[in-house]
Amino acid sequence: MGDLVGSEWFRLVIGLVIVLAFSQLNALFLVWLERKVAGHIQLRIGPKEVGPFGILQTIVDGIKLVGKELITPLSADRKLFVIAPVLVFMPVLVGFLVLPFGPDLIIRDMNLGVLLIFAFSAFTVLAILAGGWAANNKYALLGAIRSVAQNVAYEIPLLLAALSVVLMVQSMNFGQIVQAQGKIWFIFLQPVAGLIYLICATAETNRAPFDIPEAESELVAGFHTEYSGMRFGLFFLAEYTNMFIVSAVATSLFFGGWHGPFGFALGLPGVVWFLLKTYILIFVIMWVRWTFPRLRFDQLMNFAWKVMIQLALANLIATAAVLKFV
Amino acid sequence: MTKKDELRGRLRALFPEESFGVDEAYRTGVAFSTRVPAERLRDAAEACNETGFYLESITGLDFQDTAELVYHLNCYEPKSRVALRVLLHHDQTLLTLSDIFPSALWLEREVHDFFGISFTEHPDLRPLLLPEDADYHPLQKAFGKVNAYHERKEIYG
Amino acid sequence: MAEPFAQPIVQHIYSLNLGPQHPSTHGVLRVLLDLDGEFIVKADPIVGYGHRGHEKMGENRAYKQFMPNTSRMDYLSGMIYNHGFALAVEKLAGIEVPLRAQYIREIRSELNRISSHLLWFGTYVMDLGGFTPFLYAFDDRENILDILDRVSGSRLTYSYCRFGGVNRDLDPNFVDTTRAFVARLRSRFPDYENMVTKNIIFINRTRDVGVITPELARQYAVTGPNLRACGIAFDTRKTEPYELYDRFDFEVPTGTRGDALDRYYVRMEEMVQSCRIIEQALDQLPDGPYRNTKVPFPLTPPKGEVYFAFESARGQAAYYLVSDGSECPYRCHIRVPSFGNLHVLTEVLRGTLVADAISILGSVDLVIPEIDR
Repeated sequence: MGDLVGSEWFRLVIGLVIVLAFSQLNALFLVWLERKVAGHIQLRIGPKEVGPFGILQTIVDGIKLVGKELITPLSADRKLFVIAPVLVFMPVLVGFLVLPFGPDLIIRDMNLGVLLIFAFSAFTVLAILAGGWAANNKYALLGAIRSVAQNVAYEIPLLLAALSVVLMVQSMNFGQIVQAQGKIWFIFLQPVAGLIYLICATAETNRAPFDIPEAESELVAGFHTEYSGMRFGLFFLAEYTNMFIVSAVATSLFFGGWHGPFGFALGLPGVVWFLLKTYILIFVIMWVRWTFPRLRFDQLMNFAWKVMIQLALANLIATAAVLKFV
Repeated sequence: MTKKDELRGRLRALFPEESFGVDEAYRTGVAFSTRVPAERLRDAAEACNETGFYLESITGLDFQDTAELVYHLNCYEPKSRVALRVLLHHDQTLLTLSDIFPSALWLEREVHDFFGISFTEHPDLRPLLLPEDADYHPLQKAFGKVNAYHERKEIYG
Repeated sequence: MAEPFAQPIVQHIYSLNLGPQHPSTHGVLRVLLDLDGEFIVKADPIVGYGHRGHEKMGENRAYKQFMPNTSRMDYLSGMIYNHGFALAVEKLAGIEVPLRAQYIREIRSELNRISSHLLWFGTYVMDLGGFTPFLYAFDDRENILDILDRVSGSRLTYSYCRFGGVNRDLDPNFVDTTRAFVARLRSRFPDYENMVTKNIIFINRTRDVGVITPELARQYAVTGPNLRACGIAFDTRKTEPYELYDRFDFEVPTGTRGDALDRYYVRMEEMVQSCRIIEQALDQLPDGPYRNTKVPFPLTPPKGEVYFAFESARGQAAYYLVSDGSECPYRCHIRVPSFGNLHVLTEVLRGTLVADAISILGSVDLVIPEIDR
């Protein structure tokens, strides 16, 4: 019995259960937070009827979504159409496996944690493409095509920015990267990379001002135009979970993970610091969304290929040079 | 010289036999109006276009004895609206103005919808405001409930 | 040499139905787009879904019965259409209007113009993906609707004008609340400026997008802010001053490039000018009767016709009324500004991106029921 409890498999199963529960709860909370944040930015108060401060609103909405009919368009590619929402949620879950919530709170402290998380987040775009294609709707297809182009473009500077940090630590292990930031967070050493990462992460999660794939005023709802009920709900949940993941990765790579600022933990456990910083980043992403209009598609692509990639490359080379010669 | 005076001179030269209802007080909302023979409407429109007027509206009037089209043109100067009036038989067709004033593309479609007046050489006479398969012309006085159906001289003397 | 491979048939052009149910067509507009990738090859706006036959109705009902119809054509500037119709019939029948009534109508028309521009501002920025300014604009607009509502009892379709005056006098608070509103709106303009006008994304989305040249504007009879944005200071309130507009000091803002950004600037500046008109009118507002009680009933204008043009929030609108001496008009034609403003888009949209099409559609400020009539 002791063997079972101590085994890696047991740790994985327990971890997955916690991750599933956490990701759902987190998404529910984030949807509520988004609506509250949006409300207060827009001279409103947001949801307030269901539960204290309307905190149960998203649960009620979820129940409504579950109760809705799952409509599959007649001309849709049925198999692909059904599987796409599931596909979109899977890679998001994998990301949780390697996130360092605290010094001992890592489900699996892999040597290739950074690589794994980016590899799987790139997988999301495949699901979006599948969903947009399978729906056999021009708006959905346009949204899916835009999504792929955008994700491919922004993945490059995103990885280059992360690579700068990896170069400094000489490791792709999340635990080691966070430990290296005990005193000084990497955002102070790598401000350019940090900024590039945050911008690209916003684009990767299709959040405004980069929400081109689902630009509602142009493409109705983009790739999930034809989805209804809980299938739409899964896309929705995945978006918010994705937001959590990119913010958590940003926290680990640039904002010191479970460390307090400048080594002062102030008596709070690491996981609290981690979540606090992650949610502050999420709040910033929401804040941006409700403030800025949307870019046009070609401007977005120009920005990625002509500005972000150059900047990220220059930053990477500078980092390498400094590490080599200083 | 204002554009409306310039246009009046040109139209007078084009149509010496027509009378010009000049409205100095602008009481009817047009500086002057003139009747134009249906077959020479395009000449008048060319003159308006070259003077710098734009075609503001085309509308029809349905009388027992005749149909009438009223073209309102305006330019960007104070009080310079001009009306061209064309008398037609009910089943007469007109040459389109859409190559002179592109705005006539839709205005003529609308007139065709509502009054059933056809414009030859118009590139696209699909119904604009009515359903695609509409075969009725609701602003003809013969359509639906009407309050009055006069001869033209009863109103304009 | 034999042909190595059969050439595949590639169809580049596909068509996309934008609307009639689409989040940003503002009413039931359908635009049939032929696309090459995301570029528009041909745009064919299809209108008429909201055709109610107002012109036919006008021929079958007495002049005053048509008043409620007028505010239902352009539901965003209903007061201005009421106002224009009252003026047209007054001109046709030669009815005198007391001075106070003229001031009241004009103040309300200008308030309505501001509310229409505010709604445009909000929805336009929302079309571009910025959601927050929409609610800021609606917050201000709500105040206007409250002011208008308290006098006429209606928020959008006022039916407030009467031939020879207005329906009822202003309430005692009107002057104070309107002054307070104007002061508040002025304090809000810097907010709008910081949030939208100076926003680099907004500027990039609108500059050089949907350029309407002066020549194109003339060919397609474009009027209103869209025309003024391309540099022609043509405003019916100046060229054919009706009511009391020649008494007030206001400017006609113009742009230079004729693109969406200029149209934005022109409308924002028009709100400032409307504020000026309102303030001057409130200062001068005289006492006296609000309605000419000697208007004959039933109203039978003499035989003849009138073409009365006025400046709605979207451009030059006009009523063309032909009277046969009875109590119903023989012909009641309405020229609406959105008609030309939409028609010109068949030219402007060609060669633009779908994303720009939305930006352009929003920037010309269309109200489709006005076109449909």
